[in-house]
Amino acid sequence: MMMRGDKTQADVSSSDGQSSITAMAPPPEQPATSNTRRLIILSFWLVVACLGLPHWIWTTSIHRSDLPLESMNDWAEGKSCQPHYPLNIRLHSQSHDSARDAIVAARTETILNSLTDFQLYRFHVAAGNNTVSDVPTQDDVLVVELKQPSKADHVEAKLQSWVPVLDIVHADDDVERLAEFISEQVRSVFADEAKSLSYILGNTPFATGKEAIISPEDRKILEARTTRAFKYASALHLTFSLFTSSATPSAWDIEEALEQYITPLLGPFSAITKFTVDTQVQLQASFSPSIEGPTFDAATGQWKLDNSDLGGFINAAEWPLSPSIGSGPTINFVLYVPSAQQSPLVIAETGGSSWLIPQWGGVQILNSQHLSGRLSAEDLRPIMLTFADQLTSLLGFPQSPPSLSLRISSLTRERATSLIMSASSTLGALSRLTLKLKSIAIPDTVAKSVDETINRLNQACQDLNQGRFSRALQNARIAEDEAEQAFFEPSMVGQVYFPDEHRVAVYVPLLGPMAVPLVMAGAKELIAWVKYLKSPKTKTA
Amino acid sequence: MRLFNLPTALLALLVAAPETWATHTSNWAVLVSTSRFWFNYRHMANTLSLYRTVKRLGIPDSQIILMLPDDMACNPRNSFSGSVFNDKSRQLDLYDDKGGAMVEAGMGGIEVDYRGNEVTVENFIRLLTDRWPESHPVSKRLMTDDRANVLIYMTGHGGDSFLKFQDAEEISSFDLADAFQQMHEKRRYHEMLFMIDTCQANTMYTEFRSPGIIATGSSARDESSYSHHADQDVGVAVIDRWTYYNLEFLETRLNSTSQDVTLGELFDFYTFDRVHSHAGVRYDLLPGGEEAARNRRVLDFFGNVQGVEAAAEGAQDSQNEWIQDLDALRRILARQKEEMAAAQEEKETNNTTHKAPTGKRAVAHDMVSDSADGWLKKTLGAGSLLALGAAWIASSSRLGPQRKVAVS
Repeated sequence: MMMRGDKTQADVSSSDGQSSITAMAPPPEQPATSNTRRLIILSFWLVVACLGLPHWIWTTSIHRSDLPLESMNDWAEGKSCQPHYPLNIRLHSQSHDSARDAIVAARTETILNSLTDFQLYRFHVAAGNNTVSDVPTQDDVLVVELKQPSKADHVEAKLQSWVPVLDIVHADDDVERLAEFISEQVRSVFADEAKSLSYILGNTPFATGKEAIISPEDRKILEARTTRAFKYASALHLTFSLFTSSATPSAWDIEEALEQYITPLLGPFSAITKFTVDTQVQLQASFSPSIEGPTFDAATGQWKLDNSDLGGFINAAEWPLSPSIGSGPTINFVLYVPSAQQSPLVIAETGGSSWLIPQWGGVQILNSQHLSGRLSAEDLRPIMLTFADQLTSLLGFPQSPPSLSLRISSLTRERATSLIMSASSTLGALSRLTLKLKSIAIPDTVAKSVDETINRLNQACQDLNQGRFSRALQNARIAEDEAEQAFFEPSMVGQVYFPDEHRVAVYVPLLGPMAVPLVMAGAKELIAWVKYLKSPKTKTA
Repeated sequence: MRLFNLPTALLALLVAAPETWATHTSNWAVLVSTSRFWFNYRHMANTLSLYRTVKRLGIPDSQIILMLPDDMACNPRNSFSGSVFNDKSRQLDLYDDKGGAMVEAGMGGIEVDYRGNEVTVENFIRLLTDRWPESHPVSKRLMTDDRANVLIYMTGHGGDSFLKFQDAEEISSFDLADAFQQMHEKRRYHEMLFMIDTCQANTMYTEFRSPGIIATGSSARDESSYSHHADQDVGVAVIDRWTYYNLEFLETRLNSTSQDVTLGELFDFYTFDRVHSHAGVRYDLLPGGEEAARNRRVLDFFGNVQGVEAAAEGAQDSQNEWIQDLDALRRILARQKEEMAAAQEEKETNNTTHKAPTGKRAVAHDMVSDSADGWLKKTLGAGSLLALGAAWIASSSRLGPQRKVAVS
C-alpha cells in the first residue's frame, strides 16, 4: 500500500492514452497489494457474516417455548371435553323382595333418563342390599330409603340434612306408580342443579345441546347467584368486624360464636378453599357521610335507611376493612351498632336490618335497647346465623335442595364445571396472546404450566364423566391454578411498542458509519472482479 | 324433541338478552400522574383531586391505585410545605385533608401505591395485566375480575399517540390498547372508563379495540390541553382545565352517592368554552354504543355502589333449621376428619402417587428470564464478547510491528 514502485509517470500515461493531459495519476498497484487489500476486505466481511451477524441474531432473539397451541385452542373451543354427569342412586328398601326392588330401580332409571331437562345427567339406579348403612359409599350421589308406612295411604318424602339420603314413605304395590313417585322426588332434588349446570354450560363452547332450557325468570335467579358468589380462589379470608358508633359494646365473644356457628360451615368447604379468619372491634365508628339517610320516621319511631343508601353505607375511608391478609380475596362481615339516639335503625323498604353486598360480604345492624359492654355468644347467635347464611350465598351454595350435604355435592359439580371452563378459556386467551404479541418471551415454565393444565383438565374431564366429582374438582382446581400461573407469568410483559422507524433510527447511527466503507469497498472489488472476468485478455497480456 | 324446543330456546334468548349485561360488584380506580418536577405541580394536583373524589364517593383505598412520580408537597420550592392545592383559594389540602371549620371531618392523608421511580411504563403495563412476581404486595395490584368496573385516569405531557412517563420514556396508544386487550382476554374488567388529560389526548384512545371501554380525552390531535389557573403564591399552575371542569361537575352534581347522574351529562359539560380545546369521547366500544354509554351512571365508575340484597324482617324464621344444619355439618366434619386420617394412612403405605408440582418459582423482576438459564446465557454472551475483544487486541498488536516495518 505504500509508494514503493519505481515506475515513472510516463509509463502510466503511455499505457493509458486518455490521461495524457493530466499531470498526476496514482501509480499502478502491484498485484500483491491489491491481493492484500482483497484479503482484508474479505476478512472484514467474513467477520461480519460469521461472527457479527450470528451474534446480533443471537443476542436480539427472544426465547419462545413451543406451546401446544392446537390442543390449547381445542380446550378453549370445548372440543376436548363434553361434560356429562353420571349420577348413581341406590335404592334401599325394607322389603325382602329384591327382584321387585330391581324392577323398581330399573323403571325409575328409565323414567329419569328420559326427562328432557335432565339430559346432562345419566342416572344409574341400583337396588341395594337390605343392610342400611348410615354412611353411603362415595359412588352414590343419593340413597333412596324406601320405608313402609305406619298407616295406609301415608305418602311422604323427606331429605335428610346431613347425609344424602332421601326417605320415601310409600306403600304402593304398583311398581310403575312407585317408580314414578320416586323419580318425581329425585327430579325435584336435582332440578335446580340441572338448571344451574345448564346455565353454566349454555352459550359457551362447552355447550352440547343437552342443556335444559332456562326460563328468563330462572336465568335471572341464576345470574343473581353467580353475581353474588365469590370467584374461585384457593384461599379466602374472612373478616368479622364490630363497628360501634358510641363506646358500647366494646367487646364480643366472637371466638366462641365463630366456633359454634361458622367453623362447622367452613369445614366441608375447606377441601375446596383454605380459610383464614380475623376479627376486629372499632369504637366511635360512624357510617359513611356520603349517603343521604337515615331519616327519622316519627310514625314508627324508627330511623330508616333507603335502599339507595345501603350501597354507600360502608365507610370505606375510615373502616379498616382490607387487612390484606393472605393472597386471596377478603369476605367482610360487618356488625354495626348504631348509637342510642339513632336506634332502631332499619331498612325502609323491608324493615329488616341486614343486607348482602355481592362479592364483598354482609352487613348487619344490631338494634338492641339494653346492650352491655360485652356481646355474649348468646347475643351473637342470631347475628352469626345470618352471617352463616350470607356466607353460604357468598360461597355460591345453591339455595336448594334443603339438604346441606346435597347442596355441597351440587356445588362440587358446579365448581368443577366452571373451573374447567375458566381454565380452558385462560388457555385460549394465552394462545391468542402468544400469537398476537410476537415480541414477548415465553419462558419454559409457561410451557410446563400449560402442559400440566392440559393434563389436569383431561383428568378432571374424565373424573367428571365417570362420576368422581370431588376428584374432578381437585384436578380442575390445579388446572385453574396452573393456567393462571402460565397466563400471569411475570416475564411475559410485552416489549414497549417499538415501531420500525424507531428501529431504523437506532441502527442507522450505529451501523451506518461502519457499513458504508464496508459495502463500498466490497462493491468496488466485486465490480473489478466482474470486469476482470469479462476481459481475460488484458490481464494475460 | 330438540326441534320442538328450538323456538322456545330462541325466545328465551331474546327475552334474556337485556339481562346479560349484569351489574358490576366492585369498583377500581387507577390514577396516574406521569410527570415529575416542580413546574408540573398541576399534574399531581389533578391526580390527587380525582383521588379525593373517588374516595369521597366510596371507593376504598385498597381499590385505588395511585401513581405519583414526584412529591410536590415535599418539594423545597413549595412555600406551603406538606400541602398540595388544586385551587388558588387553597381551602382544600389534597395532600392531607384535615378538614376545615366548615367541613366536619377531613379525609385524611393519601395512600400512594407507586411513587418516584416506580412510576414507569413497564410497571403500569404490569399493573394492568397483573404480571407480577409473587413477592409483589397485594395492595399494589389491580385485583379485578369480570365484575369490576375500572376507572383509569392519566395526566401528564403527551403528543400524537404517546404519553411521556417521567421525561424518560413514553407509552404509546398501541401499548395501552394491547394492555387493555389482554385485560379483556383475561376478563379483568366489566366496563372501563378511560380518561386522559394531556396534549393531543384524544389520540391516545384511537387504537383501543377491546369491548366495554368508554374513553374520553381533553384535546384533539394537534391541540394543546391547557391549565386552568395559576396560584401566585405557589408560583405555578395548580390544575388543568379539563380536570377542573370534571371536578366542578362532580362536586356540584354528585354530592351524595344516592344521586343519579349519567356519563352523558358529564361529557356534555366539556364545552369548548370551558376546556379551550376539543374534548373527545369514544363510545363505539361499549355494546349498545353511544346511547348505552351516555346512560351509564357516573357512580358506576366513580363510586363504589353496587346492587345490594336486603333481607326482609322475617329472615329470622329459618334459624332453627340452620342450627340443625350446622349441627349436621359438625357431624360431617368429624366424619371427614376420620376419612382423611384413613386416607392419610393409605397414602403413606403406597407412596407411589405422583407429586403435584411444588416449590415456589423464583422470579426475576426484570424482563430477562430467571434462574440459572439466564445467568448461563449472560456469561456465554460476556465470554464471547471478551473472546472477540481479545482476538482484536491480539491481531492489532501483531499487525503493529509489521506496519512499522512497512513504513520504514
